[in-house]
Amino acid sequence: MRRFRSKVVAEDCVEFAINNLGVIHQLADQLRASGRFEDVVPGLEVLTIRFHPEQVDIAEIEARLDEAVLRDPDSSVTPEVMEIHVRYGGTEGPDLSDICHRLGVGETELIASHTDGLYPVEIIGFTPGFAYLGGLPAHLSVPRRSTPRPRLPAGSIGLAGSHTGIYALDGPGGWSIIGRTNHKLFDPARPDPFLIRPGMSVRFVAI
Amino acid sequence: MSAVIIRSGIQASLQAGPRLGFRHRGMPWAGAADPLSMALANWLVENSVAAPVVELTYGGMSLTFERSARLALAGAPCSVVLDGAEKSFWQAMQVRAGQTLEIGAPPAGLRTYLAIGGGWSGDVFLGSVSTYLPAAIGGYAGRALKPGDQLTWIGPATTAPLRVLPEELRTPVSKSWALRATVSAETDWLQPEARQSLFHDSFQVERQSDRMGLRLGGPRLQCDARAEIKSSATFPGLLQCPPDGAPIILMVDSQTTGGYPRIAHIARCDRHLLGQIRPSDRLRLLPCSPDSARKAWQAKQAYFRLWIPDLVLY
Repeated sequence: MRRFRSKVVAEDCVEFAINNLGVIHQLADQLRASGRFEDVVPGLEVLTIRFHPEQVDIAEIEARLDEAVLRDPDSSVTPEVMEIHVRYGGTEGPDLSDICHRLGVGETELIASHTDGLYPVEIIGFTPGFAYLGGLPAHLSVPRRSTPRPRLPAGSIGLAGSHTGIYALDGPGGWSIIGRTNHKLFDPARPDPFLIRPGMSVRFVAI
Repeated sequence: MSAVIIRSGIQASLQAGPRLGFRHRGMPWAGAADPLSMALANWLVENSVAAPVVELTYGGMSLTFERSARLALAGAPCSVVLDGAEKSFWQAMQVRAGQTLEIGAPPAGLRTYLAIGGGWSGDVFLGSVSTYLPAAIGGYAGRALKPGDQLTWIGPATTAPLRVLPEELRTPVSKSWALRATVSAETDWLQPEARQSLFHDSFQVERQSDRMGLRLGGPRLQCDARAEIKSSATFPGLLQCPPDGAPIILMVDSQTTGGYPRIAHIARCDRHLLGQIRPSDRLRLLPCSPDSARKAWQAKQAYFRLWIPDLVLY
């Protein structure tokens, strides 16, 4: 009996359904450390592995996942908290008033809600450093925009479904934008170019 | 001493191998869109397969060399003129200090690779020289090349006889492509007529196509009601199906995660061809099982490795 259900994405790519993000990241770190794979990428509910088909087969990956030792989350460790300063609304948060209208809340109320509480970094993906943050209160959930914007500035903060996202680069984007930060999520000049990583939490501070 | 760019064409950048291993931090692979042609250009000047090359889009580059060098072109064939004298594509050439190389526009195919003996110099970022333009990393200051730029290279070049690429290694370019593809994770979400269409009809490549993705026009492929999935990893070669039903084939600069249904995946053996497909070209997908896709890839690599032992196709 295999530990996780697998799906073939391509002849050199397989994904495993795993319903616990902590487990996904632990397994991803262990597989990546083996150096056997081209890329090991956590998703929100799956772990995807891209491999060199001459060197690796799916049976090897399944065996590694079955044998992986999982630690219980250490509740004594408090996650590192990154404060992200945000200018909400106006031209930097062009969808804020529309979202408030749709949700039937005032802007001050929405900002107070969004700056209250911690947002765990669930995965990094899309473009370098783009953070998918969980923890959005259910009453702030909004769908993606039906038409993506062709160009959003880096630092734009958007909502989509149950997630807050921070755009790391200038580029297209389909999330509803509520504000902007000057923090650079990706900066190639820094020793670690990526500002945040899974396991951290973000607190938004209105400025 | 360097080579000075006089014309750079529509988009030229330094590319090498993919920037593997950082997709979990959102970092796309980048690298040559047609890695086989990059390898062939490098073979001609006796470099390793993934030594940095200049990737031209629609050709159209000219540059003047301040010292002697050995050069070669591969990929989409175009005219090559060195100080007024026509040169053959697919073979190495020796240039002397002061000479100007003019590369024309390819009649078919999209990307032409210019290799130099020793390999072009570029910024290394996370293990690769490949330029990723959206984040301004790698290559030549992280950007596309433009007139006035001074490219340098790591010499010296070999002094062995000039190589000519054997006919049987010259990958043909076309305006009508058939690429092998496997089904993928959400292929069974396609409605029956869309499922039929996927491997049966031909698509037309749209103008809004670049190193991130090829947008396909033609039949609209509708999925059933479950139109979005939770964000999960995506890789070059994947066919995504957005709600409008116009599929997108992800390319070397594509995003690392996505939420659209994954309806097919270009087989690894044919992914290098994606780099040669230009807007308005026709494309058909040939159905292929994962097992036969793997075997076809092994066979293609084994064939090219008779000449290029270190070749790896991604």
